[in-house]
Amino acid sequence: MRWKKKDLEMFFQSKEFIDTLCIPLIPLDLQTESEAIKLADQNTSLQIISDELERNYTGRIMLSPAYTYIRSTNYESESAILNQWTSMLSYDHFKHIFLLTYDVNWKKHERLLDSNLIWLTATTIDDYQTDQTKKWINEQVTQISELIRSFW
Amino acid sequence: MSEKKQQVSRRQFLNYSLTGVGGFMAASMLAPMVRFAIDPVLQAAGGEDMHAVVDVSEITEEPQRFDWTVEQVDAWYTSDVTHSAWVYKDENDEIVALSPTCKHLGCAVNWAGNPDYPDQFFCPCHDGRYYKNGLNVPDTPPNAALDLFEFEVKDGTLYLGNVKENPVQEGGA
Ligand code: FES
Repeated sequence: MRWKKKDLEMFFQSKEFIDTLCIPLIPLDLQTESEAIKLADQNTSLQIISDELERNYTGRIMLSPAYTYIRSTNYESESAILNQWTSMLSYDHFKHIFLLTYDVNWKKHERLLDSNLIWLTATTIDDYQTDQTKKWINEQVTQISELIRSFW
Repeated sequence: MSEKKQQVSRRQFLNYSLTGVGGFMAASMLAPMVRFAIDPVLQAAGGEDMHAVVDVSEITEEPQRFDWTVEQVDAWYTSDVTHSAWVYKDENDEIVALSPTCKHLGCAVNWAGNPDYPDQFFCPCHDGRYYKNGLNVPDTPPNAALDLFEFEVKDGTLYLGNVKENPVQEGGA
């Protein structure tokens, strides 16, 4: 399910079956060109992975719009906001909440987070259409979904 | 009376002509968009909505999942959408292309996804199950059979089109 009219109608009808929330965490940073490009690229690939995850598990996973923040943030206060976000979004409904990120800083502050953090190691992808990239994305999606399914 | 009816005020005239121009502009914008929506390579193959998916020689009796990407134009938003199908040859050597979308709430099913049921499709979301022909196993959440893809074989390549209801009534392997 996504944050879309049609999906939300279905969500409210079949709420009891959709017990998992996934939130991509997307950092922004415009200080240098190379960093900005790298982050934008990671944004694209994280979005593709989340989309694929949602496509395969539509009936049980709600994919939230990304949580976007400034990368030079203070991760302690950012964690507090993020926790507020997840609890407000969830309203005690979701049994499992997963945060998807490439940002290692969250890994360092994992203990402050109320939800499960899935930290992926980043790679640079130049061309999303190659078979190799598709394989890599599939592989990532399979691993993440295995992890998520172990919670179900 | 009739004179009054036929009179077109300046405002009406402007309205009409602007609608005309707008409509014309919309049409000229839409035409190329529609054309782009159809992949030129596949256009040559004939079917309007058929997409080349796999070489027929790769199809086995064991269902395999094949993915393909379609450029979808949604009003002003263009995106690449990935589709999947489970394809196999049945005992009569006929090709069967099933949609992976679970009839319960839409998760993607997997062939032999549950080791306890190696001859069935399994939905990981709420343990829905289907027989090989797509029929839903009774007493699991789905209440209908997996949809079938319309297909066409041309020059050794399998093309898949829209999904349609699966007519199967009886289960079995
Ligand atoms: S979505 Fe397949 S069993 Fe619920």
